[in-house]
Amino acid sequence: MTKRKEITCIVCPIGCKILIESDGKKFKLISGNRCKRGVDYARSEALNPERMLTSSILVENGIWPLVSVKSSKPIQKEMIFSVLKEIKRKKVAAPIQVGQILIRNVSGTSIDILATKSIEEIKK
Amino acid sequence: MIELDYDVSIIGGGPAGLAAALSAKKNGAEKILILDRNSWFGGILSQCIHDGFGVEETGKSMTGPEYAEIYIESVKKEKIDLMKETMVLNLDKNKTIIAINKKGIHKINSKSVILSMGCREKTRWNIMVPGDRPSGIYTAGVAQAFVNLYNILPGKNVLILGSGDVGLIIARRLKFEGVNVLGVVEILPYASGLPRNVVQCLDDYDIPLYLNHTVCYIKGNERLESVIIAQVDEDWNIIESSKKEIKCDTLILSLGLIPENELSKDIGIKIDKNTGGPIVNQFLETSVQNIFACGNCLQVYDTVDLLSSDAKIAGKYAAQKEQSNKNEIFVQPGEGIRQIVPQVINKAGKIKFNIRVSKPYKSKTFYLKVDNKIIYKKKINWANPANMISFSAEINSVLLKSNKTMEALLDD
Amino acid sequence: MKNADIAIIGGGVVGCSIAWELSKYKIKTIVLEMGSDVASETSKANSGVIHSGINSATGSLKAKFCVQGNKMIESLSKEIGFSLKWIGKYVIAKNDYEIKELDRLKEVGEKNGVENLRLVDKKTIKKSEPNVPCEKALWVPTAGILLPYEFTISLAQNAAINKVDFYLETKVKAIEKEKDGYLIKTNNGDFNSKIVINSSGLNCRNICSMIEEPDFNVYPCRGEYLVLDKTYGNLVNSMIYPIPPKEKGVLGVHITPTIEGNILLGPSAEFIKDGFDKRTTKKTMNDLIKDAQDIVPKIPNNSVINAYSGIRCKLASKKEGGWADYKIYESKNNPGIVNLLGIESPGLTAAPAIANHVRDIISNSFDLEKKSKIIKKNYFTKHFSEMNAKEQNSLVKKDSRWGRIICRCEKVTEAEIIKALSNPLGAKTLSSVKYRTRAGMGRCQGGFCKQHIVRIMQDEFNMKLDDIKLKSPKSKMFFNKSRGVNDD
Repeated sequence: MTKRKEITCIVCPIGCKILIESDGKKFKLISGNRCKRGVDYARSEALNPERMLTSSILVENGIWPLVSVKSSKPIQKEMIFSVLKEIKRKKVAAPIQVGQILIRNVSGTSIDILATKSIEEIKK
Repeated sequence: MIELDYDVSIIGGGPAGLAAALSAKKNGAEKILILDRNSWFGGILSQCIHDGFGVEETGKSMTGPEYAEIYIESVKKEKIDLMKETMVLNLDKNKTIIAINKKGIHKINSKSVILSMGCREKTRWNIMVPGDRPSGIYTAGVAQAFVNLYNILPGKNVLILGSGDVGLIIARRLKFEGVNVLGVVEILPYASGLPRNVVQCLDDYDIPLYLNHTVCYIKGNERLESVIIAQVDEDWNIIESSKKEIKCDTLILSLGLIPENELSKDIGIKIDKNTGGPIVNQFLETSVQNIFACGNCLQVYDTVDLLSSDAKIAGKYAAQKEQSNKNEIFVQPGEGIRQIVPQVINKAGKIKFNIRVSKPYKSKTFYLKVDNKIIYKKKINWANPANMISFSAEINSVLLKSNKTMEALLDD
Repeated sequence: MKNADIAIIGGGVVGCSIAWELSKYKIKTIVLEMGSDVASETSKANSGVIHSGINSATGSLKAKFCVQGNKMIESLSKEIGFSLKWIGKYVIAKNDYEIKELDRLKEVGEKNGVENLRLVDKKTIKKSEPNVPCEKALWVPTAGILLPYEFTISLAQNAAINKVDFYLETKVKAIEKEKDGYLIKTNNGDFNSKIVINSSGLNCRNICSMIEEPDFNVYPCRGEYLVLDKTYGNLVNSMIYPIPPKEKGVLGVHITPTIEGNILLGPSAEFIKDGFDKRTTKKTMNDLIKDAQDIVPKIPNNSVINAYSGIRCKLASKKEGGWADYKIYESKNNPGIVNLLGIESPGLTAAPAIANHVRDIISNSFDLEKKSKIIKKNYFTKHFSEMNAKEQNSLVKKDSRWGRIICRCEKVTEAEIIKALSNPLGAKTLSSVKYRTRAGMGRCQGGFCKQHIVRIMQDEFNMKLDDIKLKSPKSKMFFNKSRGVNDD
């Protein structure tokens, strides 16, 4: 069933309110966006909503107990909590570099979890 | 005492201090020092593990630590000196800094100083919430530090007061950590954070947003047990019949930020009561010659992109050490405008301004006027106090010589 | 089972004064305190005033112990090292009735043995207190201020290093008479003691009733306070009091500078049912500002950085006029039980004198032999922030932890935090650190230092998350780790 919906674009801080029409398979943008990124966002939000995921992973032997991480690409909304579960179980050893892949293909999504911070090893 | 000499000394190594340092280097300063009280650089960005940073600046959306790391790497490459875990105890008008760290007391002589100390959070007593004084009450920044840096969860059933970005971000973060987030309470009729954060942090997770509400009472013998929330009328008075008790063990306060200016006040730098930060000219120089201010201690920013861009102005002129000029005009907020920076103009040219409106407005025109003469105007379709607006306006030398006051206002 | 000669129930300023006094004798003294530190209740939540004695009824124990204590406190502060400032007090009068009351107060004061009281005129007071409009005032030079928690901690820690054992988080559940003393049952084990001193403040009736039928009632009366930012510290130079209100038996809302440069407004006075209901209320907070602005009109509306309340242990109800004298006596039916009841203002001032009196009561049934050597230690030497650069530098050279500032607002160093957590009482809450160092008392109210203090507790003192509390046994700070919960 085609529904009309107003969504708030989250790509940049402006947050345009975009009016769309969709039945879950097809998508039509009615009005509201200020740039092309908004079109892409509106489409994905209507057909396959996804979000960038940020969290933290437990570190062994590092000067900090946690390393902040992000998904290499936006993850499907419905997968978020399974991905978080896997992130919570994981442990990584210091030293860690920014950008280092800490989990490959998390929860079978083909998306990786990357370190967003460098963590030094504890010096003995 | 260890005595050091620098061209530019920067107090605070968060994004503002880092950007200012790089700009100072680029503009000719040779010896530059950044001091920070923490054991890391990047300031608050270290705990802002969410993304959304750097979109305007780089086209990419980064997390706080990634954004900080880029600047830190550049600062190290440029051989800018860094002193961490160092607290500035005193700054005087001669730009001499007394600072302390584990090596001892340092006396740092500087030609210019940049203040980039950031801000602190409003506390329960800024809004005087009555009731008990249990454990379990945290300001949002502190809760965020515990969760993101120290692997500590403050509680299990959390209510958040304040829907600014800091509050919204922590709502999602806690939800991701398996905490029961009971809701976000906001006294205004609209969320004060960015719309994208309302979507990504509340709507996505069905976290209720109680608009036109506030927390009016805190209950808890030793640890928090519950709070009473209530609706407010237009004058922010409690509507008694709307009182509702919410059982929770943690209350997170996201009440707003206060620019940190203790050092500034100690040397008599003039403070703008609207911004909470120093009164500055177009070079971001304060009322004390060759002391500059940038970042959140100058005014609370919404995005790090704008903050860094402005900080680079401070860095440039701290390096170049402009001569002070005789002719100056003051800029004051008028109807509809809460604050405007810079507040003083003493050199002609294209000046970059930042303003915040005093309440939400639609379809207005913004003016800079001197004695009813329009110096600049700009149409504003939609404006909100939570969103800083930037623009550039040409101020000529004739206007400067008039020594008059320029007013920033909204009109139809 | 732990044995003692003297068991003091209640580690408030009175209990700790008694502990300090008794620590000078060759007897085994213990203190049982239900809170996580000494001065957990009324002793920390008051105005911190050393009273002259003008407000106490002539011939009462309150007057006697207040005037005695007032004379003892100067040398006591030099002995065990807490701050004390004789800033004096003005009782102000704004109309004819109040001016007459000033005369009466002066008379009572002089009868009680208070020295150097002086009536001053409008012109004189304007010179010393330009922000306090009034017609006439009574100048009381023997009134002073101290930090009540610092005072109590000094007494307790000096007692502790002279072999008084403090049992914190120890709540008395039952007291039973035994052949040679009393069995005290607590959540922390059983104690046997020949003498039991009931200095449990608001709990005094509960403790008393564990062994005998009390012939008195306790009427808790709450006083709320507001703390003003140090920026306004120079609005007044001495304490400013109004003429005490007729009913209630309280002193009225007054303006009190603190040792650290803040200003206290309060206290209010409200008779309440639950003696531990320390809430602050919106109405009272607003009333306090208004009442304070009546005395000092220049106090701005947005100057408050903290609010708290303390509860007075009154023995007379509101209907009865709210005034009753102290009751300090050894029980006739249960000799060896010494009850201290209704210790409200001027309790802080009276504490050292009360301690001597209790010692005298005990010496009737106990041979008190003085120790030849008593250790005295100043636990409140100069703050790092008050030292000059040379002093600061040499400390950092000795121990680099003096070079790391943990509390930005009050400039408290890592070394001071560690020293505070190493106190001889074993108190290790965030409040214990706060009251020993001032960390967390500044403008940002712990916004910066909290995380660093917690880290020190974990790294230097091996404290587990569950052990980290704000101020009392059940005031846990945290829920759990977010990662690796099952790891240790």
